Amino acid sequence: MNRFDYFAPKSLKEAVDYLHEKGDNTLILNGGTDLIVRIRDCHIHPDFVMDIKKIKGLDQITFDNGRVMIGAAVTLNKLGLHEKIQKEYPFLAQAALSIGSKQVRHRATCIGNICNASPLADTATPLLALNASVHIYSRNGEKVVPLKDFFVFVRKTVLEFGDIVTGISFEEQEVLGIFNKVSRRKEVDLSTVCSTVMKINDEYRISFGAVAPRPIRLFETEILLKGKTISGDLIKEACQLAGEEVKPIDDLRATAEYRREMVRVILKNALNEWL
Amino acid sequence: MKFVGKSVKRVDGIKKVTGSLKYVDDMKLSRMLYASVKRSPHPHAKILSINVEKALALKGVKDIITGEHYKKRGGLYLEDKNFLAVGKARYRGEAIAAIVATSQEVADKARKLIDVEYEVLPAVTNAVKAMEPGSPLVHPDLGEYYWVPVFMPKPGTNISNHYTLRKGNAPEAFEQADYVVENKFYVPHVQHVPIEPHTAIAQMDVDGVCTVWASCQSPYAVRQALSEAFDIPLNKLRVLSPAVGGGFGSKAGTTLEGIIIPLAMRNPGRPIKLTYTREDEFENAYVRQGLHATIKTGVNKDGKVIAVQNEFIWDGGAYNEYGVNIAKAAGYASAGPYDIDNVWTDSYCVYTNHPVGGPYRGFGMCEIHFGIEQNLDMIAKQLGITPVEIRRINGMKPGGTTGTGEVVPVAGLQECLEQVSFDIKLNEKTEVKEEHLARGKGIACGWKAPSMPNNAASSAIIKLNEDGSAHLLVSAQDIGQGSDTVMTQIAAEVLSISPEKITIKTGDTDHTPYEWQTVASRITYSAGRAVYEAAKDAMDQLLELSQIKLGVYKRDLELRDGYVVSKIYPDKKVAIADLALGLNFEDGSAVHGPIIGRGSFIPPNIRNADKKTGLGDHPVAFWTYGVQGVEVEVNTETGKVRVVKVASCFDVGKVMNPQLLEGQIEGAIVQGMGTALFEELMLKDGKVLNPSFVDYKIPTSDDMPEMIIKFVENPEETGPFGARGVAEPAMVPSAPAIANAIYDAVGIRLNTMPLTAEKVLNAIKAKKQND
Amino acid sequence: MKSLIKFTLNDEPVEHLVDNHITLLQMIREDFDLTGAKEGCGAGECGACTIIMDGKAVNACLVLGVEADGCEITTIEGLAQGSELHPLQVSFIENAALQCGYCTPGMIMTAKVLLDENPHPTVDEIKEGISGNLCRCTGYKKIIEAIQFVADNN
Repeated sequence: MNRFDYFAPKSLKEAVDYLHEKGDNTLILNGGTDLIVRIRDCHIHPDFVMDIKKIKGLDQITFDNGRVMIGAAVTLNKLGLHEKIQKEYPFLAQAALSIGSKQVRHRATCIGNICNASPLADTATPLLALNASVHIYSRNGEKVVPLKDFFVFVRKTVLEFGDIVTGISFEEQEVLGIFNKVSRRKEVDLSTVCSTVMKINDEYRISFGAVAPRPIRLFETEILLKGKTISGDLIKEACQLAGEEVKPIDDLRATAEYRREMVRVILKNALNEWL
Repeated sequence: MKFVGKSVKRVDGIKKVTGSLKYVDDMKLSRMLYASVKRSPHPHAKILSINVEKALALKGVKDIITGEHYKKRGGLYLEDKNFLAVGKARYRGEAIAAIVATSQEVADKARKLIDVEYEVLPAVTNAVKAMEPGSPLVHPDLGEYYWVPVFMPKPGTNISNHYTLRKGNAPEAFEQADYVVENKFYVPHVQHVPIEPHTAIAQMDVDGVCTVWASCQSPYAVRQALSEAFDIPLNKLRVLSPAVGGGFGSKAGTTLEGIIIPLAMRNPGRPIKLTYTREDEFENAYVRQGLHATIKTGVNKDGKVIAVQNEFIWDGGAYNEYGVNIAKAAGYASAGPYDIDNVWTDSYCVYTNHPVGGPYRGFGMCEIHFGIEQNLDMIAKQLGITPVEIRRINGMKPGGTTGTGEVVPVAGLQECLEQVSFDIKLNEKTEVKEEHLARGKGIACGWKAPSMPNNAASSAIIKLNEDGSAHLLVSAQDIGQGSDTVMTQIAAEVLSISPEKITIKTGDTDHTPYEWQTVASRITYSAGRAVYEAAKDAMDQLLELSQIKLGVYKRDLELRDGYVVSKIYPDKKVAIADLALGLNFEDGSAVHGPIIGRGSFIPPNIRNADKKTGLGDHPVAFWTYGVQGVEVEVNTETGKVRVVKVASCFDVGKVMNPQLLEGQIEGAIVQGMGTALFEELMLKDGKVLNPSFVDYKIPTSDDMPEMIIKFVENPEETGPFGARGVAEPAMVPSAPAIANAIYDAVGIRLNTMPLTAEKVLNAIKAKKQND
Repeated sequence: MKSLIKFTLNDEPVEHLVDNHITLLQMIREDFDLTGAKEGCGAGECGACTIIMDGKAVNACLVLGVEADGCEITTIEGLAQGSELHPLQVSFIENAALQCGYCTPGMIMTAKVLLDENPHPTVDEIKEGISGNLCRCTGYKKIIEAIQFVADNN
């Protein structure tokens, strides 16, 4: 590992000032479960590492003014085992608990999972389905970016140097949702395909990961299903369309064709729940 | 019996559960230096130049060596290997140079500063193609290498060993057969994945004595290899193996020890440490060779298999010094545990520019049984008989004949078969409610013999202490299997003292006596016999002295609970504590001196087979037979296979320690399941694409099936208390049983491992289309 | 590039000047000579480095040493009281839940936290609870039995 300076600011302002003072070879340390491995593997060589976990208020899940806010330092276990989240958004809890091992989830954060912007980020699909928004603090103040616009490409987001994500929020809503993860091994595995299928009144929100450069919503399939009564034929049609809407690739874990098939199977089973 | 056959608790348990056992990477020696290795990025390349100037200039770097410093080749069965590449790199990851520095950080930095110029050569990445004329040669100088005469390399080719077995006349027999089934199978490379990566520390003292601490299965084999490679006399080279965090074959022979010896020799007084990363484990340690197999089986309507013809092409990787014996072992076991009159096999070990193939639990048996057991099920289906029936007819029975023409007086296969069929309820189908889930059951048989030189030897020393306790010295290495405990039990049983009174010391070539290697499932059997003999020797001395002391004839004396006791007059006894240092007389004089029990063992009468035909009447020490039955659940939408239940039964001769034995089998079943469902070293153009746990998956606790473990005890005449080895046989039937169960569930056959969800799903779909 | 940190290590307060760039695993192994936690992969996949940090089981290889500041760290060495073994340690030996021993310290730390949080777990909860600790030797069965044994008897 290369050597670096370490600093743990106590406030967002202190944090942003430090970033600008030290320059762009400064990396933000949150859960660390991804960052530390990348430093070990010499994929990155920071001169400065800034730990945001000591900033007050980032480790809370709040229900306020009709919005659910998940703070940047909220760990995956904290999110997944949160009573209210489990009750009202069980698919989000399941997604959080499907990542890594228990040990990893005590450190890894939901925000970290989002900011890494892996095409298969497991917490991305439920949050995309919930139309979540990312809260970003910078020198210029605070801004909010819808999650669907946050991901740019594989491991690339709209974040610029000097930005600190403080949390992700979504509107409190009454929904039915199903989270699915297809992987090689039941526990502690990256997703071959992951997905959240959500029903909110007569609208469907369908999100998939590991089938495109970013986690995506299948808007065309959603339009097809909107307002219609679910029938066996409609499910078939929707699955067909969904299979065409995704753009998976072949990689070590699976072929594009297998991923497409899993998209169809997952959507079929989810819709069948509400048949 | 008091101790043998009982679940005596692990003697090394406390140290392990408290984290106080020091494994080699835990050791911190004074003035220790750290090594780093520069490796070839090319699978096949000439080394044109190595520039170490910049690296040497880095503060903290003490020394750098290359293959040019020590060019002597070595190897266990075929001397084709250098510790650092000489002239060319033969696999991606081969060690080119080694740096030693004051910290790991500096050593790793220096490694990046070494410039190596290569001339890339065409790489050989398919073992079948490697055998074709005109293929680039991995070892053009094969003809100049020394090899143990039982092996048959073909210089001028990539074939490092061609083993032939010609029993009867298979081609003729096929003409007579009612049905013939021929299939090709492919088993990819896998890695052992011991949780502890390889580590070694070497220190050369100014007086020329070299000490090596290594996580190794066989300190004496390491000593031998290093002594030869670096011309260090055996009495000046000490190898210790203080603890091993799992081996499974990967820590047999030598891996990284030779890299640090020259650094130690050039920096006397400084211990040099080298620890592998997990990535190193996947790329730069032994791997299990890949296998391309063609198996042809001929059977008559009555169910009798009358002919088998096999071609095994082993992807041995860049160095086959160990792998040549895997090709041989697979060859002589190629009939499987079946009594077949005509068996023709050609088993080739082939050089490729792939990671180095070496010993892996099963030593070829797991790979070949994947094909043998599926072929047999396919044959049974064609005949319209059950998988159990075809194995009842052809499975080895006592007095049967093996593929090499050996008549085996003992064979517990049939009993195991009946037990497993019963335990897995083979004839009952489990109903499942869900439409997309299908259940199936399958069985497979397996067998294995220890694959070792005919003269592989064990020895043991027992020293009695003057308080009635004892020290047991062996070089059998406890790599997790529990040998420390079982050896202690054997000594305790013979000496009739509690295991707690015996302290076992292992793994120190200066102090513990010779053990060939801890491999081949041979330790309970061979080291166990040596311990038995040593205890008997100590007992003998005790009885001799007691004759004098008690005035009772030797044949009427026995050991009981720390005493030598007259069998007829139990009051006449003497504590062994009182005899430990000799026998004292009333006049003050004494005789004999300390009681030291000495045992040496070589399995008797293991004779070379005929080189041309492979036939031999006693080519191995013993065969271990066993059967596993598996129930799987297949998700027909995703193709995922879940192993629900496994029933296992092995003929172990004697259950030495029920709890430890169960543990070994349970571990073997799960390891077998891993290779069946998840594990594959993905190689492309000689590169390992998945050298980490992110994409090389082994089973977790959540994958564990229900396991029913049973044993049969038909004693092995030459084993201690009748025991034979089972460490490797335990894993042999696992993968084929799963494959056969999948067939029962969804009617598809998969001829390549692993049986991934995608492969299963594709096969299900293809079957649907064909139906 | 060092930081002065203060934390509790196996119930003892410590003050330490740590290199910023080393992991908690490296710090406890090299600076404190507590070698019970092992490096099996260095990437948070095998669990051999599991220790307890503020009551939670974490992979020490995924935490920087400097992040231990202000925390309570327990390693396997802190489990036994002198030579009196923790019930889990006794149970692991009694139930033959270890073979080579390399995964054992991490496994026991995970099991301890599991039972602290859920004193009477089902078999499935145990299986899931220790799924972040790889073992190659035992096949897990006896480990699960050993944990169940402690749950049943305490």
